[in-house]
Amino acid sequence: MSQAEFERELNNAAEPLLPIEKKLIGWSLGIGVVSLAILVVLNYFVPIPI
Amino acid sequence: MSDIAVKASDRIVAKDRLTEDWLSVAIGVLVFALALFSLSGTDLLGWAVTTSVYSNLASALGPFAKGYAWLGGGASLLATYAALLLVLSIGVAAHGADVRKFALAFTVVFAIAYASWIVGSYAYIAAVTPAEQQKFGIAWSLKLTNEGGFVVALLSGLVIANFLPRFANWLKEAIRPELYIKIAIVILGATVAVTAAGRLNLASSILIRGAAAIIEAYLIYWAVVYYVARKWFGFSREWSVPLASGISICGVAAAIATGGAIRARPAVPVLVSSLVVVFAVVEVLILPFLAQTFLWQEPLVAGAWIGLAVKTDGAAVAGGGITEALISAKAAAAGIKYQPGWILATTATVKVFIDIFIGVWAFILGYIWTNHIEKGPDKAKPSEIWERFPKFILGFVVVFAISLWLALGTTPDIAKALPAAAGEANVFRVIFFILTFFSIGVLSDFRKLWQQGFGKLAAVYFVSLFGFVIWVGLLISWLFFSGVKPPLAS
Repeated sequence: MSQAEFERELNNAAEPLLPIEKKLIGWSLGIGVVSLAILVVLNYFVPIPI
Repeated sequence: MSDIAVKASDRIVAKDRLTEDWLSVAIGVLVFALALFSLSGTDLLGWAVTTSVYSNLASALGPFAKGYAWLGGGASLLATYAALLLVLSIGVAAHGADVRKFALAFTVVFAIAYASWIVGSYAYIAAVTPAEQQKFGIAWSLKLTNEGGFVVALLSGLVIANFLPRFANWLKEAIRPELYIKIAIVILGATVAVTAAGRLNLASSILIRGAAAIIEAYLIYWAVVYYVARKWFGFSREWSVPLASGISICGVAAAIATGGAIRARPAVPVLVSSLVVVFAVVEVLILPFLAQTFLWQEPLVAGAWIGLAVKTDGAAVAGGGITEALISAKAAAAGIKYQPGWILATTATVKVFIDIFIGVWAFILGYIWTNHIEKGPDKAKPSEIWERFPKFILGFVVVFAISLWLALGTTPDIAKALPAAAGEANVFRVIFFILTFFSIGVLSDFRKLWQQGFGKLAAVYFVSLFGFVIWVGLLISWLFFSGVKPPLAS
């Protein structure tokens, strides 16, 4: 990829976010935050013996 | 776009990367197997060179085992160099590299990297406690411990990359940070197992807490960085996927695996990878010192944080080593002496956990892209999960499992002799860390950041890393590891 091609590509007009990408972002964040919250609660109420 | 970082990263792409993974397993397991002979009283690796903190250079070097003291420091250094040259030359030959070029470049790489390590062990740099300063007859020191040599090696590499680009280019055949760190991680399995065997409950606890890192890297970091790249900076999907993976998961390996999964052109993840390396260097030069200043009373929070925040396996695990040295030094100055190995083990656990799922995540993205975004005949297949799985992790797990079994499931005599055997293997782990640090430095051409076009990529990286990844990583590490302390040394 030449320098000119590289610059042109990065400055191209943005592709709009597709619904499937929005779903991917939304579901990832949702599952991630809920899972972390569950782990934090478990960690607090059922601490692993050290 | 013809800079050394990109050229060097080229080697890591697809098929070559897999070969390099298996090569690292073979070399790491070989070192471990040879070290295990000492359990039967046959010391095969005791000649390997170690460096002590010194004020008189003549006393700096020596062989690891007393049985080889007759060799002296110089001969033991030469023997270590020759052994590494032989094994690595065979390895890179199998990998299809030019062995003559490799041997010449490796000789110079080893010389500069190990010289940096020796410089880092000078008492004025490495001595930590007042007792040590008194022992060496010095009034002050930087208190970096002898692992300050890692920083010296990194800086040496940076000077070469940024001021001597032709020399850096000549060295490139032996500049293989991914290979060196993967070998080191395989060997590290023995040390982690010996450390874990001493406090099994604490080790299990770290493992379970480390699972939070997977959720954080894949589900939270990735989604946010992808959104930032797409929505705020207007990057295309082809650029945003490797960029998000590089910033949020595990640098080079993840950028290349997920770039391949969405069928991006090979140049895209390679360009992103070169940026990942530059930022990883910046992090390694800053974060361990921040951890020493602000987190020295929470050592495992610091270890987990480094694993979550620093991208690329090499920079993260080696950064964990520096963090352990710095925090142990500060704690020792305050009269607290932690058992060594726990901070580094925490960093390595977090990093290995994150690495395990690269293949799965790449498959999920590949499935979405080939079925919903760019539909075509080339669909993602479940077999890609295995193809993209970082195989060196298998080496780490095998070495860890065997060492744990030897420590807990065999005779007391073997269990007692195991730490020494693991220590012998650890000498090579340290040397591969040094080579990793130097190689990362040589790949880090900071002039790239000023190249036209690269600034926009760097801006996404900067905003995501310093505006989000580092701080969320700190919060999660704090939530799961605060109050969990390494055992005190007896």
